[in-house]
Amino acid sequence: MPRNTTHQNLSLKEESPRYRSMAVIFSAMTSLFYLISDVWKLPLFTFYPASNRFEWGWSAATPDDGPGMYWYGWIATASIGAGFCAILIGLLPDRMSKKIPLSVTWWTSLLLVPVLIYSLKFYWRW
Amino acid sequence: MDWLYDYISENTFWTILLLIHGLISVALLGALTHQSMAVLIPVKRLRVDDSFVTHFRAVTAQKYTKAICYLWICSFIFGAWIYAQYRIYVRIPIEQQELYKTLGVFEMKEHLVVFGLGMLPIYSYVWKHMKNIEYDLARKCITLFLTGVCWYAFLIGHIVNNVRGYGS
Repeated sequence: MPRNTTHQNLSLKEESPRYRSMAVIFSAMTSLFYLISDVWKLPLFTFYPASNRFEWGWSAATPDDGPGMYWYGWIATASIGAGFCAILIGLLPDRMSKKIPLSVTWWTSLLLVPVLIYSLKFYWRW
Repeated sequence: MDWLYDYISENTFWTILLLIHGLISVALLGALTHQSMAVLIPVKRLRVDDSFVTHFRAVTAQKYTKAICYLWICSFIFGAWIYAQYRIYVRIPIEQQELYKTLGVFEMKEHLVVFGLGMLPIYSYVWKHMKNIEYDLARKCITLFLTGVCWYAFLIGHIVNNVRGYGS
């Protein structure tokens, strides 16, 4: 058995099949977790730009701090969730992770676009 | 940033950031459009007397990948930086004018650019493996998705800027 086999199997270079599967899942899960955190109000934190204050989780606007921003918190939630899923996929053996089709990447994002539009229905008033 | 406001006004500072964000986006838009055209309708052999469009798509598409990733990230960082100012000084007046559809399309932009950001690792991967024909479809679809998002974001950013942008 070659000495470096274990090291090579755990390699995360951009050429490796492991990287490919992790990148596919990261991409798909970023969109999914982002949408979930938006629709179900699950930002990691709320930022109040008027007072430069952070609050953990979702927090409503206050008279002292002004409007809250959730976008940064949604990105944080999505990154953590997608990163966690990608790591899990990275732990799978190559023969299993290789079966994840690349198409997951774009069809997840494309399918979520109509959901995003619907989630913004508040703005589509005539 | 208070020290900086001794030299330039706060309004000028944010306008400069918005301009940088806009210029990076223009570069990104150009790079992605070139790459999309090259991947959709590749040019087999380029002759000097070929049309402008043929020359436009006759680029070495793979060479754009790294630049596109960096430009997307830079544009995203500048956009995220400006966004806090937008929330207070742009969005509230637009809400007061009841221009809800303008706000809606802008919200859509901020969602889609995050989708695009998440796609960059796999985008970079499929372009790095240019010779692998198994990735041809993925390469086309991902590049087209990013190009669509970039065009949408650029146009909507422009619209919002027209509603309440530079110096307002």
